[in-house]
Amino acid sequence: MEARAKIAWHVKKAAKYKTLLLMCLPAIIFFIFMSYVPLPGMWVAFLRFDYNKGLFKSPFVGWKNFEFLFTSGQMWLLLRNTILYNVAFILVGNVVQMALSILLSEVASDRFRKTAQSIMFLPYFISAVLVSLLVYNLINYDYGFISNLVRGSGGEMAKLYSMPKAWPVIIVLVNLWQTTGYGCIVYFAAIMGIDPSIMEAARVDGANGLQRIRRITIPMLKPTFVILLLFAVGGILKGNFGLFYNLVGNNSSLFSTTDIIETYVYRSMLNSFNFSQGSAVGLFQSVVGFGVVMACNSLVKRIEPDYALF
Amino acid sequence: MKKTLSILLATVFAFSLAACGTRGEQSATQAPSASASSSAAGPEGIDTSQHVVINYMTTGDIPNNDTDAVMAELNKVLTEKVNAELNIRWIEWTDYMTNYNLTLASQDGSVDLVGTASDWLDAWPNSQNGAFLPLSEELLKTYAPQTYAQVPAENWELCKFNGQIYLIPEDNYAQWINHGFMYRGDYAREAGIANGVHNWADLEKYFQYIKDSYPDVVPWDAKADASIVTQMSTGWNHSKTPNITIDGLRQEVFFGESKDNPYTVSRYFLEGAELVNFAQTMKKWNDAGFWREDVLNNTVDTREAMYAGQSGADQHHVSTWYSTVRPEMDKKQPGSDVGFFLFGEENSNVISINITHGAMAIASKSKNPERALMVYDLLRNDPEIYRLFQYGREGVDYTVDGNMLLRPDGFDNALQGISSNFWWGRNDSLELRQSNFAWDEYDKVTPIYAEMAVPYPYGQVIFDLEPISTELDTISNIYSTYMPIIVFGKSADPAAYVQEFRDALKNAGYEKAINEVESQLASVYGS
Repeated sequence: MEARAKIAWHVKKAAKYKTLLLMCLPAIIFFIFMSYVPLPGMWVAFLRFDYNKGLFKSPFVGWKNFEFLFTSGQMWLLLRNTILYNVAFILVGNVVQMALSILLSEVASDRFRKTAQSIMFLPYFISAVLVSLLVYNLINYDYGFISNLVRGSGGEMAKLYSMPKAWPVIIVLVNLWQTTGYGCIVYFAAIMGIDPSIMEAARVDGANGLQRIRRITIPMLKPTFVILLLFAVGGILKGNFGLFYNLVGNNSSLFSTTDIIETYVYRSMLNSFNFSQGSAVGLFQSVVGFGVVMACNSLVKRIEPDYALF
Repeated sequence: MKKTLSILLATVFAFSLAACGTRGEQSATQAPSASASSSAAGPEGIDTSQHVVINYMTTGDIPNNDTDAVMAELNKVLTEKVNAELNIRWIEWTDYMTNYNLTLASQDGSVDLVGTASDWLDAWPNSQNGAFLPLSEELLKTYAPQTYAQVPAENWELCKFNGQIYLIPEDNYAQWINHGFMYRGDYAREAGIANGVHNWADLEKYFQYIKDSYPDVVPWDAKADASIVTQMSTGWNHSKTPNITIDGLRQEVFFGESKDNPYTVSRYFLEGAELVNFAQTMKKWNDAGFWREDVLNNTVDTREAMYAGQSGADQHHVSTWYSTVRPEMDKKQPGSDVGFFLFGEENSNVISINITHGAMAIASKSKNPERALMVYDLLRNDPEIYRLFQYGREGVDYTVDGNMLLRPDGFDNALQGISSNFWWGRNDSLELRQSNFAWDEYDKVTPIYAEMAVPYPYGQVIFDLEPISTELDTISNIYSTYMPIIVFGKSADPAAYVQEFRDALKNAGYEKAINEVESQLASVYGS
């Protein structure tokens, strides 16, 4: 009667935490419907999809839909760009977010802090299409705002839209501008959650501002950083399509440094409208992402078991 | 009256003949045959006792004019004649290709009539993918008798895939959609090009003149859209070689050698000096500043820029020129005298369009395919319905003078009249000439074009892309990567860049694809 006892124990536990479970329910339902129910859709990646026959009767073609990813010879470039951009976004992004939230938390004036946060937060809501127009009107060679400033002051403006080297910097800057305010919130909340008595004690012991930040705030933010990192690395193969596609568009002279898996797939699929290949790419990205998360988590577990996700 | 009666009789006759054989036939084509097998026969031998709504899917933006009001009137007539009404389902221009295919892929019976095209709307891939209903001759004879009678047998042949008809072609409508440049006649004359621009050398002279004389005008304020890039590349090819574009192969990289040797695929993209020549000329144009430095990211609306006097040219087809740009420019830039330079005219290499450039298909999941065909037959052949659907209400939106259609003063189609975007069954027997189009210009040039034009030689082949789909995807990608740089002269060394492009194509299996296309052509036309 081992099994029965176990079930009884589970039921008892569920009854005990019924309020908590009830509160969780919307999230559970959400994930069941949005993440688990569509899972069989992955099957499309292995079919030659026929609209009329649908998911279950279309002919099976094995790995054929994955072939185009590797036969193009572009895979290495795409992987490199996608991963490097994501690493840059994650590292630079988190460091800047952390630094800014620490600075904000040290600001005494409430009003200033709130205004600054709102202004920083604002770009997050601007669509990538508008962002791309802003960037274009700032830096295009013929009549861009910055181009005119440079020329006005006697300089020679670089032809940025034909300079692949400039774009990693531009894209990272634009991404920072858009996401920093949003990311700061998490860190700011973590800082607010630090027990004030620790700070008090440090102050009494004579620690100055810098010392308190270095010895207390930053170490206390480490778990938050690790969790955000773990969440982010799962998407290491997923690029921000909106940002890249709108900023670069069809300007193929920049592709060597700006083409990511998403934009490449978009351009390939635009002509053939092949669901199966699209799903094949999605599946590939998810499987790799899953692997990376597992690897990172086990790495974290080995170094600092407390910070691991599971 | 006599005509209607004879059509009626023909319908009844056709149906009584077909009735014996329809049941088995229709279940074979999966057509829900409720009305055909029903015993309650209407006046025409077809049961139309149940009122149905036919959804017609077309590309275009949702109009803000009086379309709803005109449709209400149209639906009254349709209800009277076939007890059906028509509802337009718009596929808006933004990402239209994706949304069009997606709507077809996810159809649930909410679409009946589908406007389609073999060259610009994936008619054949969708037929292959099962998005369209195969139309048996009985079905067409019974429910679309006028259309069936109008389309000649050899044209029906061109609409078949695997022996079955999938498309109803718009084959009784003359139109010129060959691409080229619209340029300003006044600037051309000032530049000393007395007879207008008729070749690429003239065009260069024209652009250079604008660059030198009008600093505020961009000679061609181009936008590097995929379509512009393709048209430029193909336009040069047609102008400098006898090559003919083969449609239906995803990307315009397959050309027949010439009209005398159409079934050998040209190796223009692999060898020869013409592509290098093109790349070098475009580099020269780029360095001369004929378009903006950042043309590859330019988002300007070239046509609007031309209307505003800020662009010296716009690239599109003959029809756009005489129906839209020329009349608009006469209003907005009086004296601009916009002319047309047709790609291929310097070389007499002009192909008239395929009859499936516009066609109607029935959605495979349509709940009322028979009634949809009946409605289509009326939209295409009934004079009253045709005019309502194409032009709006007579007396309100237009008046007729001879065969000329006159719009009331200040008529603006964006705000008045109907937008039906019915490009899938226009009928020259019922067409009126819209008085605001530049017919004088049209009548001047089209006889010249017609003399040069040869019929599209590949109308009968529907390519099976399955064996080369991987190659085609890669080729598409290479094309969309390299071609914009070639077309807008953005490489430092065009000759070397073309070589790089050629090597990439070779590595992608372009030659294998050429062989496959040739062998499929040979299997249809003999070797």
